[in-house]
Amino acid sequence: MENLERRTFMKGAGLGLLAFTVGSAKVLMTPGQARAQAVPFRLLNGNEGAVIEALGETLVPGARQAGIAHFIDHQISVPAEEALLQARILNVRPPFANFYRAAIGAVDRGAEKVFNRKFAQLTAAEQYDFVGRMRQNTIEGWTGPTGGFIYTLLRTDAVDVVYGTMEGYAALGIPYQAHIVPDKRW
Amino acid sequence: MANEKVDVVIIGAGCSGSVFASVLAKAGKKVVLIESGPDWQLTDLVSSEMWGRRIRPAGAPILLEGKNPMGYAGQAGWGVGGAALHYFANHPRYLVNDYKIKSEHNRALDWPISYQDVAPFYDRVAWDVGMSGDAKAEEIWRPAGQAYPMPPMKSFPNGEVWLKGFKELGIRTAPAPVAMNSTEFKGRPACIYDGWCHVGCPTGALANPVVTYLGEARKANAEVRAMSTVTRILTNQAGTRATGVEYYDEKKQRQVQEANVVIVAAWSGQNPRLLLNSATEKHPKGLGNSSGLLGKYMTSHTVAGIAALFDEDLQNHLGTIGAQFMSYDRYDKTAYKDQFGSTYITVGFAQKTHDFAASRPELYGAPLADFMKRAARGFTRITLFGEELPNIENRVELSSEKDAYGMPLGRLVHSYDDTAAALWRANGVEGLRIAKAAGAKEAWTGNVIPTSHLHGGTIMGTGAGNSVVNSYGQCHELPNLYVAGPSTFPTEGASNPTYTILAVALRGAEQLAASWGTVAG
Repeated sequence: MENLERRTFMKGAGLGLLAFTVGSAKVLMTPGQARAQAVPFRLLNGNEGAVIEALGETLVPGARQAGIAHFIDHQISVPAEEALLQARILNVRPPFANFYRAAIGAVDRGAEKVFNRKFAQLTAAEQYDFVGRMRQNTIEGWTGPTGGFIYTLLRTDAVDVVYGTMEGYAALGIPYQAHIVPDKRW
Repeated sequence: MANEKVDVVIIGAGCSGSVFASVLAKAGKKVVLIESGPDWQLTDLVSSEMWGRRIRPAGAPILLEGKNPMGYAGQAGWGVGGAALHYFANHPRYLVNDYKIKSEHNRALDWPISYQDVAPFYDRVAWDVGMSGDAKAEEIWRPAGQAYPMPPMKSFPNGEVWLKGFKELGIRTAPAPVAMNSTEFKGRPACIYDGWCHVGCPTGALANPVVTYLGEARKANAEVRAMSTVTRILTNQAGTRATGVEYYDEKKQRQVQEANVVIVAAWSGQNPRLLLNSATEKHPKGLGNSSGLLGKYMTSHTVAGIAALFDEDLQNHLGTIGAQFMSYDRYDKTAYKDQFGSTYITVGFAQKTHDFAASRPELYGAPLADFMKRAARGFTRITLFGEELPNIENRVELSSEKDAYGMPLGRLVHSYDDTAAALWRANGVEGLRIAKAAGAKEAWTGNVIPTSHLHGGTIMGTGAGNSVVNSYGQCHELPNLYVAGPSTFPTEGASNPTYTILAVALRGAEQLAASWGTVAG
């Protein structure tokens, strides 16, 4: 048996590094770094990215800067069995991009019904109010995936990027204590 | 493509399949395990909530329906080790009363065996895989047996803080029996209490199948074919024997593997799906289904999770995801007035940031951020698992939708009846009483019943009229077809099932090895 020393592995998964394409090169960086460097999305369009960022930030403050849109964009572009998303745990049927696109559409349509504007164009207070109603499935005429399910899934995505990394643990003053870094085969 | 015939083909390289593989390979049989997921190595088990999702299934081979859909994907496994690659390694036994509910209460079903039939195998499994705990302390609830090979695991403030509450209410506790190393065991290191068990333990301190039975099977030359999906169990023309399996390999090529004995060990969702999909003219309702009970009596524990905040710093990042303490004091089927069913209580687990957030699903925005800061210091939990009685309406059946190989998806329909829901509510009340008595500043529980563990679908019984398999997992109608795992459990008790899965599988595997000449033909 390999003798693993305690907490000697402090990079990789805990840091939330993913392989993003910059120019023609693949570069390991966090979704937050990818956002800061304006790495183009693989699948999402500009409005889809904006909705995910706004929704993520409303759900978990810090999710926008932590790169929630780049995280989701990256994860829906890889084969489902390689994805790290909570969507697989909640039995969402692949390809996961279909769910996220349907969810974004539902949120925008709902926002237009309530506020006559798309979700990303609402004020922070309006977004907070809207998400509360979406969670409780009380927006009339809602179409697409249920609001409660979108809330649950996107909230976990936002928790992933804000609190699921070593940076997130450090921000709360909690030792991360990783056993192991990701193997290159991942 | 046909492969050279082998002695045994096992569908699934998880917990129960690994036991059969180990016993039979060591008995000199040529064993092949066909596993739908990857051949994970310990170095793949990354300490991260997100990366840990990679060892769960992706996609929807099982459609989830009913009033209380089973939390399937989070519970199931994908790849070698199966669900036990990410399990919490809690190893309580089922107790004497679990095996004879029908006889004693005229409710539910009896097992065709008693606790005494399984007890020797509990003891052997403990020494096979390595368990820590205090067997003597458990004897207030169960017959005496052998001591565990290792002393109890360390405890931490996040578990110890609850003990005052239990004591005040007169609820007895004992160190939790777990399949983890409190000391070095068989060359595997002692646990370092970093709490990443649920995403797979890479150190070998937790007894997952990769480091126990599957490892032993491989040493005895059992072969694992990973990324290979079985679609049918093949039978002879007379319908009297299994002849092998059809599967699709890692290149998506159709293969046939003939074998003298076929063992279905793909967990409770997939086992009935496979047997139903293997219907023939001789077995038009699926293999082993003359009783009509194939796919029926699916059960899943209710979970009353009690979360609490205490003033003190509980160091909740320390420990294991398995419990520090446990209690069988509410395990009697009539422990609560006006309720029915067993309850198993577990106390104190390492907590991750996702656990904090999941405990208050209604919080978002600034209130969530505020809660996360408070939880980082004083958050802790106990869990009360409740028993669900078997209900024939809870079932796995084939959907009209098909997977990539043309195999019908499974449809798992699951709803709790009033008895299970009432026991869950009673457990929530009991847990909040304990929290209050322990001095928690705040305590709460959820308002939706979570499901945990999955049993049934190919239940064992005394004959083909009332069950699919016998107590060894041998199919009543095809003697060289075995089914392993919790799908064979007629009732679920309230204990975490893996210890019983291992013990029952070991009993079945040894019976098969001992009667090989008769069974294999």
